[in-house]
Amino acid sequence: MSTHNTNEFQLSDIRSLLAEQGYISDDAVSMSVFLSLKLDKPLLVEGPAGVGKTEIAKVMARALQTDLIRLQCYEGLDATHALYEWNYQRQLLHLKMVEHNQQSVDEKEKTIFSDSFLLKRPLLQAITHHQKPVLLIDEVDRSDEEFESFLLEVLSDWQITIPEIGTINATHIPQVILTSNRTRELSEALRRRCLYLYIDYPDFEKEWLIVARKLPGVDAKLGQQICRFMQNLRNMKLEKTPGIAETLDWATALSALHIDHLDKTVVEQTLGVVLKDWRDTRQAQLSLSELFEKTGVISKIDV
Amino acid sequence: MIFRETSLSKNVVQFCRFLRKQNFTVGAEEELAALNALQAVDYSNNQVFRLALQAVLCRSRAQVEAFEPLFNQYWKELAKAVDSKVKSNEEATVKPASKAPSFRSLKSWLNTHQNKEEEQTALYSFHENLSQKDFSLVPADELEELMRTIKAISKRLAAQVNRRYKQTNKTGLPDLRRTLRLNMRRGGELLELAFRKPKRNRTRLVVLCDVSKSMELYATFLLQFMYSFQQVYSRMETFVFGTSLQYISPLLKQNNFEQAMRQVSAAGESWSSGTRIGESLNSFVKEFASRVLNKRTIVIILSDGWDTGNAELLRQSMETIKALSRKIIWLNPLAGFTGYRPETAGMQAALPYVDVFAPVHNADSLRRLSRWL
Repeated sequence: MSTHNTNEFQLSDIRSLLAEQGYISDDAVSMSVFLSLKLDKPLLVEGPAGVGKTEIAKVMARALQTDLIRLQCYEGLDATHALYEWNYQRQLLHLKMVEHNQQSVDEKEKTIFSDSFLLKRPLLQAITHHQKPVLLIDEVDRSDEEFESFLLEVLSDWQITIPEIGTINATHIPQVILTSNRTRELSEALRRRCLYLYIDYPDFEKEWLIVARKLPGVDAKLGQQICRFMQNLRNMKLEKTPGIAETLDWATALSALHIDHLDKTVVEQTLGVVLKDWRDTRQAQLSLSELFEKTGVISKIDV
Repeated sequence: MIFRETSLSKNVVQFCRFLRKQNFTVGAEEELAALNALQAVDYSNNQVFRLALQAVLCRSRAQVEAFEPLFNQYWKELAKAVDSKVKSNEEATVKPASKAPSFRSLKSWLNTHQNKEEEQTALYSFHENLSQKDFSLVPADELEELMRTIKAISKRLAAQVNRRYKQTNKTGLPDLRRTLRLNMRRGGELLELAFRKPKRNRTRLVVLCDVSKSMELYATFLLQFMYSFQQVYSRMETFVFGTSLQYISPLLKQNNFEQAMRQVSAAGESWSSGTRIGESLNSFVKEFASRVLNKRTIVIILSDGWDTGNAELLRQSMETIKALSRKIIWLNPLAGFTGYRPETAGMQAALPYVDVFAPVHNADSLRRLSRWL
């Protein structure tokens, strides 16, 4: 088994590992990832939707050559769904099978409350994993405040108590990444546990790099035009600002249609790939000339 | 007095204290983390040095944005402090008044205030009075204090409303009675299991806040209330209106209230203008009602009822809203005055459809809101 010893990492290694995995990062990102590994602290990543927050965890897992365990948070998520559940049906069937055995009640009870009847949910999975995993707690802002305090407890003690079995201590402390879209303010206590990283939408250079890296087949002129257009689009006050995923979708769609440059008709017909709210679409259509002017002027200087 | 520490680690600790003065949550633990972080990187590179400290010491987006200027300011002033120390023998006695203000700020954070805690407890004692003071009469110097109180009330209230219907924390508990029933047809063999879960509160709140000229004195406090409420209670849609309606929920979902306020007031032309409640509620009915209203929705209208618009339109809109929602709560700041009667045409038209009519004129009245939610 080849596991990296995280203490041997240097900052430059992280940078190149991130780059190797196709993640275009800036220095703040690699520094935070590096220090989170080095200081063994959870990393809280905030930023608008679609800037690659979740991606960081995936990249980290690949970089550490370990598994990624993901806990997707949602409103109403509670401890049982995050920790463990007993497999009731299996327990009942088992009891039925051993009904006429000579075992004592105590023994039977012991069997049905053992590992094989335990359904491990992400948090328990993470702390009992055979090697140090990356634990991604996605969109933690969507969970309730109660769950947040519960999470805080697990993140500081790294042990989970199951009444029927006892206390389970972590075999390896997982590398934790939490992401948040800032739909709700997270508690100060949780923030203090973590290193903090804010990722904003990429600037033009970075976005073009990402497009070029992820979609090597895209025409350079078209790709740059799309990126400039997206930059300007994001400056508008939209209900749902498009992220990098939308840029990539759009570039893929346009190159599949064998289009090599943006013009008004093309944009009007394919705007639905980028904007998902009818008010946004209307607003963008109304100011299309202006958007084009901005996109055009910049590209003339550049080219 | 020491202005400059010779060792790097002491300087880093001093920098942490400097940040603490700037409302960064930096304690001993963070100081330690900062020092550990520096051990891991090549801190002779200024950029790396700054990024490492930034990664460890920042806790929010606002702090990330404020960090670089503060970092530059601190190390610059430190350098200045070194220079002045050399000169201080000749000059300090002659011209004490010429001390740069930056110097003073450095000094002030070096001398930690020991009786700060006492000051704070003293501040809290006048909460009682402040809570009962009408929003329009609050003096400027107590504003911040009041804002903090409102924020606290709001968060507690929201958490309470959130929790109300939850009976237990444990889910996935088997429901024995239903389980037995379910398995009757299998001859009492317990194969299929029924579970019970706590009920979740699905009450949605829709808030319509009047921000016209006549409400000017109250609107800021009410928005602070809604802002903090929304931070905890996610099933809430917020609108403001004056002459026209504006949907502000997305703007309120930010980490910084001042910033959110600026955007809210920049985006709406109805801010501090006349009131046309009828027209505003009508556009709410047309554009949003079908989407945000259902029989589990409580509609809260915050307005003084002074209306220059169409009273009949107001009546119709109220009728529709009433039919689509569970309850309408009208909160009127003027109702806090003894002797107030809802006699304006607008109020008269709306009242038949209002389930609860209550005052919101001070922090206490906000606290009492829990009764209706």
